[in-house]
Amino acid sequence: MKKSILTLAIAVTTITGFAQKIVIKGSDTVLPLSQKEAESYMKKNSGKSITVIGGGSGVGIAALLDGSTDIAMSSRSLKMDERMKLKDAGKAIKEVIVANDALSVIVNPANKVGKLTREQLEAIFTGKIKNWKEVGGDDMPMVVYSRETSSGTYEFFKEHVMNRKNYASSVLNMPATGAIIQSVSQTKGAIGYVGLAYVTKDVKDVAVSYDKGKNYVIASVENAKNKSYPIVRPLFYFYPEPKEKQVKPFIDFILSAEGQKIVDQIGYVAVK
Amino acid sequence: MALFASLAFTAQAQEPEATPLDTLTNRVGMMQSNLDVLNRIKISGYLQPQYQVADSTGQPSFAGGNFTDTDKRFQLRRARLKAQYDAPLNENGISPAQFVFQLDVTQNGVTIKDMYGKLTDKWIGWFSLTAGMQNRPFGYEIGYSSSMRESPERGRMSQIIFPNERDLGAMITIQGPKTGNWNWLKLEAGMFNGTGGPSAGINASDFDKKKDFIGHLSATRTAGGERIKYGLGVSYYDGGYRIDTSNVWDPGKDAAGTMGFIPVSTKADVSPSKATREYTKRQYLGFDAQFSMDWAGGLTTLRGEYIEGKQPGLTSSTNPGAATTSPVAAVVANDIYNRNFNGAYFYFLHDILQSPFQAIVKYDWYDPNTDVKGDDIGKTVTGNTKATTSSDIKYTTLGLGMAYRYNENVKFTAYYDMVENETSSRLASGINFSRDLPDNVFTLRMQVKF
Repeated sequence: MKKSILTLAIAVTTITGFAQKIVIKGSDTVLPLSQKEAESYMKKNSGKSITVIGGGSGVGIAALLDGSTDIAMSSRSLKMDERMKLKDAGKAIKEVIVANDALSVIVNPANKVGKLTREQLEAIFTGKIKNWKEVGGDDMPMVVYSRETSSGTYEFFKEHVMNRKNYASSVLNMPATGAIIQSVSQTKGAIGYVGLAYVTKDVKDVAVSYDKGKNYVIASVENAKNKSYPIVRPLFYFYPEPKEKQVKPFIDFILSAEGQKIVDQIGYVAVK
Repeated sequence: MALFASLAFTAQAQEPEATPLDTLTNRVGMMQSNLDVLNRIKISGYLQPQYQVADSTGQPSFAGGNFTDTDKRFQLRRARLKAQYDAPLNENGISPAQFVFQLDVTQNGVTIKDMYGKLTDKWIGWFSLTAGMQNRPFGYEIGYSSSMRESPERGRMSQIIFPNERDLGAMITIQGPKTGNWNWLKLEAGMFNGTGGPSAGINASDFDKKKDFIGHLSATRTAGGERIKYGLGVSYYDGGYRIDTSNVWDPGKDAAGTMGFIPVSTKADVSPSKATREYTKRQYLGFDAQFSMDWAGGLTTLRGEYIEGKQPGLTSSTNPGAATTSPVAAVVANDIYNRNFNGAYFYFLHDILQSPFQAIVKYDWYDPNTDVKGDDIGKTVTGNTKATTSSDIKYTTLGLGMAYRYNENVKFTAYYDMVENETSSRLASGINFSRDLPDNVFTLRMQVKF
């Protein structure tokens, strides 16, 4: 409900053209962090207005290209094609890593499987493993959830966990991270992946092994910081150089001790 | 009746009153729905007004067409308006249909550039069929948008062998979806009229039974953490032209060993029936490569393409800019001269640091007749052999330019084409090809894109 109100408020703000100072658009993974940082920043700086809109990293970068955002949030780095398009549009882009994120693999709490190797995850998301009994669980078909193709998380998971293999056509692509949490919490045979900050008690975190089953590590801020958890990625802000004066105070706030404390609170890994 | 009225009233009375939030939610939902429909239609376009200064009055040119009785001109080189409709994504995330319509409106009139429909298989998204007026799938420069291209014009060779870039036909594209592992590999192959797209005074209707095959196989990869992009491609063209009531000549030597043209068929050999007439070959083979790297000094791009083949054309025009070797419909009514040709272009582009400036260097050559060189062009031949002419002269062009991107919509380009022709002491009369002609062109262009 709270999220709906926020979304509506954002929509109304966008439609009515309310005195916006900074628009931030893009990654759903970075969204909760940006929202919290924006709230704190606006409390401290009356008269400053920040609007935060999700949609996926690709959406944010496209918005940067067409000039409909001041900052693009992204859970992946720029692709070469995007770099070339931005150059062609005469946009010099600056990038800042505002936080790091551990990607959690989640299952339904009723599922007795609590750990998986990278190879098993690859086989599950490419459709080679289709039943939980193949990985030590109950005889139950798997229901595999992923993000949409415009999501940076989708691409990061494919590149770093699936060894760049294709997702199986049976994988269900969800429009937002919240939808994955909800679906996994309601489906006994479900498995998905989300940013650590999204994990709730309604889903179960799975320990992951990147050394073929010798060591399994659960996603946590601590394990990401000590680098024992393998699925960690930087979260980016991209902005056009001419907008630096406008956006720098907010970015400086995120990178400050206070801003990085919020990063920890949200469940991401501070960069400082 | 009273019962129904009472029930209706009761139902109405029991309907929960909408809160302002519900009303707003409904309105936003409706707006989103309308927006989704509008998002399927994309309107885009660009204008390219320019000012040019040529070396000499009335000079022929491939930098936007010949200069008629002037050496300075304002020109609206291109003014394009494009509408594109993409069908909504299906349950497999595939847009199964696309329609594209593009017009060019300049001082020369209105021309259709694109008019095609594209169907994509709705199951795996690997196979597409494109039918209508579209770019020929040959090489890289032909299909590369004029709004994106850094030099004001395509190379001389591209303009001669593929006039107007487009053609009417049907093409199959095989390429994996963007999110798949095989998206880097692309095969385009189709059958086309071979007449080229329409332009002022030239329509695109076919005039013979022969349909031309055009194919392009290309691979594009990225490396270095998405900071390097490279691509390779190979193209093939296999077509031909109907031989009408004309003589056909191939490259060959006279009794003294001088290179010229020898007859392969004469008017007497040509069947009076259009249905049984023979065709002369039009065959090209091309290789293209691209490389881009984003590094500390900026974005550097290298591009190149080499094409060789056999081109049917006309003969003796002393006007080198008249595209005299271009295969247009008029060819069939004149004597046809088959030539072995080759040509290439190379781009070096560098976006300077993070600035809006881009340096452009382009070099291209077109040798319309690789069987004859230098002073042998125009040499007198004996017997039933025809001499080569100024149409057989090789041209090289070095272009230097600088682009300034004012913002995402506006770009200014200053560009200087230095054209050099092969010389022959035997072609000194008329236009004096015993020296390099004064035919360089300076172009100052503004591009407005939306």
